[in-house]
Amino acid sequence: MSDKPIEVSPATREISRRDLLVKAGMVGAGGIAAGALTGPAGAVARVARNSAKTIPTGGTITWALNQDPGEIAPFGGVLSATQWGNEMMYDSLLQWDHKLNLRTALATYEVISPTEIHWTIVPGRKFSNGQPVTAADLQYSFQLQSTDPAPGSISALGQFPSIDVANSGPISTYKYRMALSRPDARVFGYLAWTRYSGIVPNGMYESLNPSVSGIGTGPFMLSGDYQPGVGINYVKNPYFWQPGLPYLDGINYEIITQDSTAIAALISGDLDGATVSNANALTLVGHPGLTVLHNLTAAFRELQMTIKAGDTKPWWDLRVRQAVSLAINRTNIIDNVYAGYGQLTGHVAAGYGPWPLTTAELATYETQDVAKAKSLMSAAGYGSGFSVTMTTFSTPSDFPAMAQLIASDLSAIGIDVSIVPQPSATFAAANGNGSFDWDLTARGMRGDVDGYVAEFNPADAVYDIWFSGFKNTEMWRLVGDGRIQLNETKRLPIYHDLDSLLMTQLLEVPIVSVESFQVVSDKLKNMYVSFTGSNPGLRYVYLES
Amino acid sequence: MQRYLLQRLASLLLTLVGVSIAIFFMIRLLPGNIIDLEFFGDPNATPALKHRAAEQIGLVGSYPTQYFHWVGGLLRGDLGRSLLSQQPVSIAVGQAIPITAELIVLGVLFALAVAIPLGMISAVMRDRPADYVARFTGLIGISIPNFWLATLLLILTSRVFHWVPSLTYVRLTHHPIANIEQFFMPAIAMSVFTLALVMRMLRTTMLEVMKLDYVRTARAKGLSRRSVLVRHVLRNALIPVATVVGYEIGYLISSAVVVEAIFDLPGLGSTLLNALNLRDYPTIEAIVMIITAVFLVVNTVVDILYGILDPRISLTT
Repeated sequence: MSDKPIEVSPATREISRRDLLVKAGMVGAGGIAAGALTGPAGAVARVARNSAKTIPTGGTITWALNQDPGEIAPFGGVLSATQWGNEMMYDSLLQWDHKLNLRTALATYEVISPTEIHWTIVPGRKFSNGQPVTAADLQYSFQLQSTDPAPGSISALGQFPSIDVANSGPISTYKYRMALSRPDARVFGYLAWTRYSGIVPNGMYESLNPSVSGIGTGPFMLSGDYQPGVGINYVKNPYFWQPGLPYLDGINYEIITQDSTAIAALISGDLDGATVSNANALTLVGHPGLTVLHNLTAAFRELQMTIKAGDTKPWWDLRVRQAVSLAINRTNIIDNVYAGYGQLTGHVAAGYGPWPLTTAELATYETQDVAKAKSLMSAAGYGSGFSVTMTTFSTPSDFPAMAQLIASDLSAIGIDVSIVPQPSATFAAANGNGSFDWDLTARGMRGDVDGYVAEFNPADAVYDIWFSGFKNTEMWRLVGDGRIQLNETKRLPIYHDLDSLLMTQLLEVPIVSVESFQVVSDKLKNMYVSFTGSNPGLRYVYLES
Repeated sequence: MQRYLLQRLASLLLTLVGVSIAIFFMIRLLPGNIIDLEFFGDPNATPALKHRAAEQIGLVGSYPTQYFHWVGGLLRGDLGRSLLSQQPVSIAVGQAIPITAELIVLGVLFALAVAIPLGMISAVMRDRPADYVARFTGLIGISIPNFWLATLLLILTSRVFHWVPSLTYVRLTHHPIANIEQFFMPAIAMSVFTLALVMRMLRTTMLEVMKLDYVRTARAKGLSRRSVLVRHVLRNALIPVATVVGYEIGYLISSAVVVEAIFDLPGLGSTLLNALNLRDYPTIEAIVMIITAVFLVVNTVVDILYGILDPRISLTT
């Protein structure tokens, strides 16, 4: 475990007008919306390479959040926006670099036994109030994480690994003994995921209102309270532990829910950066003063199916599920819905560290083969097809668009798909209680690779809700083994085997992994689009004068 | 008059009770709630855990029990707590009301300031080029959706002038000029429909009034054209306009939902939109009740004003 600071010049992918034209040529005319290319040509984006030069410090940037966090409490946060609102303020014991490698943040660790880990707080780690981080703060934070007091929701408890807080505790002022109720490999990823595992000073919840205020060890600290619906202002934390960071004096978050508003403010220079939709970002390629960044994200798209005991549906037959997967033209979806910015994915999100199957491996399962799909349908006794309802999100618009292409592909093998777009709350309700046939949905960041396959673990609640009619002991064994194997070298083949097995069983049909886009001012350097879906890159950005 | 007022008050209260029942049950009949959103994608989401989460935020008990609990709070001036932040709804609503109120007041003022002169010119210069221009402008105003106009204004000023209204809300009391700068474009975007409606109505009404006997008498008395127009024609033509403006307040509140979102103003509209997405029942209920109450009060006031402006109308029935 390295204690060196995260590298400051993460690989970021910028897009220039030239890149876009190449991409447009690849996807064909109309693949990118007509009129998308605005501004004069020649403003080719440059990747920020700053390792050899002195980085300017100071300045404050304005960044758009496209959803109001609602509250910024560190525990029990359930919305992505909550994390966007507080991620500059809190750290966990570990952190991910931009390649999802685990790094030390507040403490180093030593695995004493499969159920005991000792954490040593790195000297000099302090909260933004100047108070040193101690083992008592760790115990207090874990207690809160394991109970998720209001204003958060206990809905985050499902993310909490097997840390036995009652039997854990300080060994000394700066050393902490963590007991696990069972061996649990998820613990390290969890402790790098600030969304759920931030460290706060002992007694913080009793001394302030964590909905709108907070104290952490992150690079920035609040300047005044968060105002719901209005915004959040952060200033530099003078006690931040990474040498030289942050470069900025402050970050002001504005809540801008409309892409059009964010784009107008980016063009006028009132905004330094924003996450915008793929289609809107592409309209800004080549615009003077703006740089379009993009990167793969964890939110890959997949088709979920229910296989419930006491029910009989055509897709209970493995051959039908395989036919469905083979009939889908994923390249067409990537090109026409995502303008070429996507790739194949398995059950573990493409780009999630060393864990996913390679693109070449995925291609063996996911290349469209309609003839084979038809023959599988006939062999399963569904040569004349069947009808099914596929629910999806009504917004963002890529979901209904993707659903249309899938329905069109499946009609070629006789499957008549009725698409039902729904608001997210309606979709979430049916998804949670299993009252759906097919859901076209998206995944997201997970603290540990187990999070992408947890629904195939019969011990987890959702298995009974979705897959009570399905049995595969090999799958169960692999899911269970992966969760308790602490040694990463031994763990990697387990997940490789598991994903390969899942690619043939297809309880869920992975569709595509997609890229996310951010548009930033040219003067804002070192930003990158994070795979995680939040904005850790803002910790390392600077303003070029 | 007193009896009339009491009748209106009773009707207002009954309507509020009706709306409270409707909004309370309607939003709960929508599939999915904040618990479903919070647990979405969690493989460990057992029904028991969801129930505990619902208990934690007070989403338990039968609907009638929850309704009476909520109404009891309302009667004590307690709007409840946000299901997401657990903060009193009154704080969020209290911050949002002045923003929406200012937007609506500015929208109405702008609409009237432009519509009245334009309507007058159109009526006085009937079938002349100025009339055609005014009528065409009115037609456009009625046809343009406010979200489209708002977006267009924003893009236009951003691309042409490299300027957009402040992204951070500026209080009127803190910096009046910056505040007006911030609200100017949203107010225009919101008020164009009202402006066009008032202009067209004023034109029609003025044309009718100008044909009436008392106007001819006023002219025969030798009053100046200006005096006849302003004191006799316009004053009477404004009576139906007052009613329209009252009803338009309701329209402007609904327009505010979209316009506030586009111009990044944290008013009641954008708060309501966010709460609807998150199924934050107490926030939705509070805002809908406030909007209903404002709409009812404004229209009661308009009815009373109607009687004052036109003494022929009795307020006794």
